[in-house]
Amino acid sequence: MTTVYSAVESVVVLGEAKRRAPGATHAERQRRERWRVRIGRIVFAFFLIAAWELGSRYLFDPFWAGQPSLVVERVIEMIRNGDLWWHLLPTVGQALTGLMLSLVVGVPLGILFASNKTVEKVIEPFFLGLYSVPRVALAPLFILWFGIGPSSKVVMAFSLVVFIVILNTYEGIRGVDRDLIDMLRAMRASRLYILRKVILPGIVPWIFASVRVGVGLALVGSVVGELLGSNRGLGWYIENAAARIDVIGVFSGLVVLMIVGMLLNEIVKAVEMRLLRERYAP
Amino acid sequence: MTTIDSGATVAVSVQNVVMDYGGSTLALANISLNLAEGEFLSIVGPSGCGKSTILKLISGLERASHGTVMVRGQRVEDTPPGIGFMFQRDALLPWATVSENIALGLECAGYPVDRRPARIQELLHLTGLDRFADFRPRALSGGMRQRVALGRILAYAPEIYLMDEPFGALDAQTKLSMGQELLNIWSTSRKAIIFVTHDIEEAVSLSDRVIVMTGRPGRIKAEYRIDLERPRDARQVRKLARFHELVDAIWDDITSEKVSH
Repeated sequence: MTTVYSAVESVVVLGEAKRRAPGATHAERQRRERWRVRIGRIVFAFFLIAAWELGSRYLFDPFWAGQPSLVVERVIEMIRNGDLWWHLLPTVGQALTGLMLSLVVGVPLGILFASNKTVEKVIEPFFLGLYSVPRVALAPLFILWFGIGPSSKVVMAFSLVVFIVILNTYEGIRGVDRDLIDMLRAMRASRLYILRKVILPGIVPWIFASVRVGVGLALVGSVVGELLGSNRGLGWYIENAAARIDVIGVFSGLVVLMIVGMLLNEIVKAVEMRLLRERYAP
Repeated sequence: MTTIDSGATVAVSVQNVVMDYGGSTLALANISLNLAEGEFLSIVGPSGCGKSTILKLISGLERASHGTVMVRGQRVEDTPPGIGFMFQRDALLPWATVSENIALGLECAGYPVDRRPARIQELLHLTGLDRFADFRPRALSGGMRQRVALGRILAYAPEIYLMDEPFGALDAQTKLSMGQELLNIWSTSRKAIIFVTHDIEEAVSLSDRVIVMTGRPGRIKAEYRIDLERPRDARQVRKLARFHELVDAIWDDITSEKVSH
């Protein structure tokens, strides 16, 4: 694999290197770019936090606006006394369960809609109708049906993410190259074989796209469920802090949620790179 | 019009076929043609004359509005067995390696599992892809990708080859060498081929018979028996006077059609 490919690549690189930075190889420039991005992110975060800290010291009251140093203090305290894990685990666990459930249910439904025109046409208006219902408004109903335990939050996350999965799967199948299907049909391949060889591999990038969007949404679902009725979780922690007008507590919960969201996104991106680079790179 | 050597059995028979997609003009207007076992038949004509549609009808990928299509005496209802369809676009699975793409043909043909690896090696060798077994299509040139597609079709071991401008997207040099390889493979196996192209010289250099089609609605204008000696060399044959006579005659057929419009 490497011989021809790297030969082609090095020709391209030579041309580019001459134009931009003399002496720098392609790999080197990529490494520099990565570092530039990393440093840029740190600088950006630093200024954001510094502005907040200075603002709450000299411009506005930290009682209402929070203050980064106090938030950090609180989060460290939460780690020390075990509160962090106690609240983090259910929130993340419910979100991930909801996400998985969305994939298990959504992918087959997307395939069904894409492969049967009649089913698609019958279901479409109802599907779009359901999609336009604000799912957050269903949260009280879910709590009535499934109780204040984790299952109502899983269903909440599921109800937000499953539509994304169905739509992405459907679009992915419609984007599959017709020639590939015709090629197999001409060799009398069964529908199942075509599904296995063309359709499923063809929609893998689309499934990853739904996971990338879905992670954040699932977290939203989980937290919204907790805000409305629970005795545990980051959503409950935020709700409880707000009730006691503990703004630092609210901000601490939000910051933890944000960090969790960012981490989950990075994990998904890393897995995607690993799995897809080899087979799906353009 | 659809004469066939006496004694040869008919592989494909298309009778009075009309194809109507519902537009203002017919895609195909009353087409009849026969393909004998072991024959190399080309169909030439301008783009949009419906020559690809004929292949889709024979392979059962599409159904004719009127008329009958028979493959080896069986009316085409679904895709008939033993049809090898090669597309202008290579139709390779982009996420699969060269070997995996070729293996599709073996899997669809139900080739014995334990003998597949050895057969794949043979086919890689035959198509000159030995060193590229683990490459993915995106790392290959257009010519090499068509070799993989050819390898996949050979793996399926069809009795009848339907080739829809398979070398149409290749540069002149690669096209010539692929044509030669196809001739070599064909002369050892002697399977029936319908080869659709808009390259008249390519058609004449490869075929036993050339059918000339005109466009909108597609119909058969003329038919030429290519009486050039075999085995042929795709390059040498182009130096013969008879080759140029045939090419000129076909050109005249196609251009006179355009003027009369």
